[in-house]
Amino acid sequence: MSLMSKTDFRKVWNSVLPLFVSYLPLGLASGILLQSVHFNVLQTFLISVLVFSGGGQFLVVSLLATQSSVSTILMMVFFLELRYALLGATLSHYLKQESNRFLAIFSQSMNDENYAVNHLKFLTDSSWDAQKALWVNWLSMLAWVLANVTGTISAHFVKIDSSLVHFALTAMFVYMLVMHVKNKKRLVAALVSAILAVCFMITIKNTFGIVLATLVASYAGHSFEQWQHKRREVANPTVIVEEQV
Amino acid sequence: MSELGIYGLIFGLFLAAYLPRVLPIFYFSKRQIPSWFHEWMKYVPISLFAALVAKDVFIKGTAFEWRWSHVLTVGIVFFIAYKSRSMVISVITGLIAIYLTTIFFG
Repeated sequence: MSLMSKTDFRKVWNSVLPLFVSYLPLGLASGILLQSVHFNVLQTFLISVLVFSGGGQFLVVSLLATQSSVSTILMMVFFLELRYALLGATLSHYLKQESNRFLAIFSQSMNDENYAVNHLKFLTDSSWDAQKALWVNWLSMLAWVLANVTGTISAHFVKIDSSLVHFALTAMFVYMLVMHVKNKKRLVAALVSAILAVCFMITIKNTFGIVLATLVASYAGHSFEQWQHKRREVANPTVIVEEQV
Repeated sequence: MSELGIYGLIFGLFLAAYLPRVLPIFYFSKRQIPSWFHEWMKYVPISLFAALVAKDVFIKGTAFEWRWSHVLTVGIVFFIAYKSRSMVISVITGLIAIYLTTIFFG
């Protein structure tokens, strides 16, 4: 790692500061929740470094609390983290000069929030480069890890009702669901997924049902959109051109 | 889950979280993102959260169960999340609502 000048560091620090502030309460909560499903301090440290994802860690807690199988947990986290594929793909445009080794290290510490910071910086600040972006990733990870570990340690001294804790996660998933409803098609996909999840859970008696529901509903939403596009294209070829602009 | 099992799970989670991050950044530094993938990805998070919420509300163990406390609370949280657009307010509302509805409906 090359050393940064003072002004460069200040630049990095200023852009990562909002992440520090938002990661502290979220990381504390994550650490406390991980302890409630019997993670020790080392395990909380490892998952915070290796997975480094608020949504992913909350999902793990929620699934472990309802005795889901390991394969279900791995698949759900995989599908949740698939969104990073898009983030990585859009950032790769700015990282074309970098070595494979750098890309491998950089992508390990990339997540939604530091991606947002870096993407904006790459767009608006011509002096922004890959080194600074990597420091943003690492400093945000440091904040996340510290908050998580503190949470797991302090959870020993706080008594929490586990069913209440679990409902906090449900409420969080509801919030995230609402934030993703941007049009009717997505709302329909959500409804289909919810209905399928209940049906699959009852019939196959396994949490793998929610993996299946996610896959089928997202693919159905996507197919429906394609079909709609095609139909409109046939009916009125000019409309589609306008929409894409 | 055993202590060793958790370490194994964390390693598996590392792969599940790292592969979607690292492969596209390599692959797409030379190519365009295919549009079908982009389009499909738009529907994955919302379907995932919907499936999780449905499971939490309607499933107890692996069986269907209609619990007024859960149904009402989730309805309230939906409304508050939509109005406030704040995660903290939504979660706190959810906790208060589930506490009260559990007292009323058992």
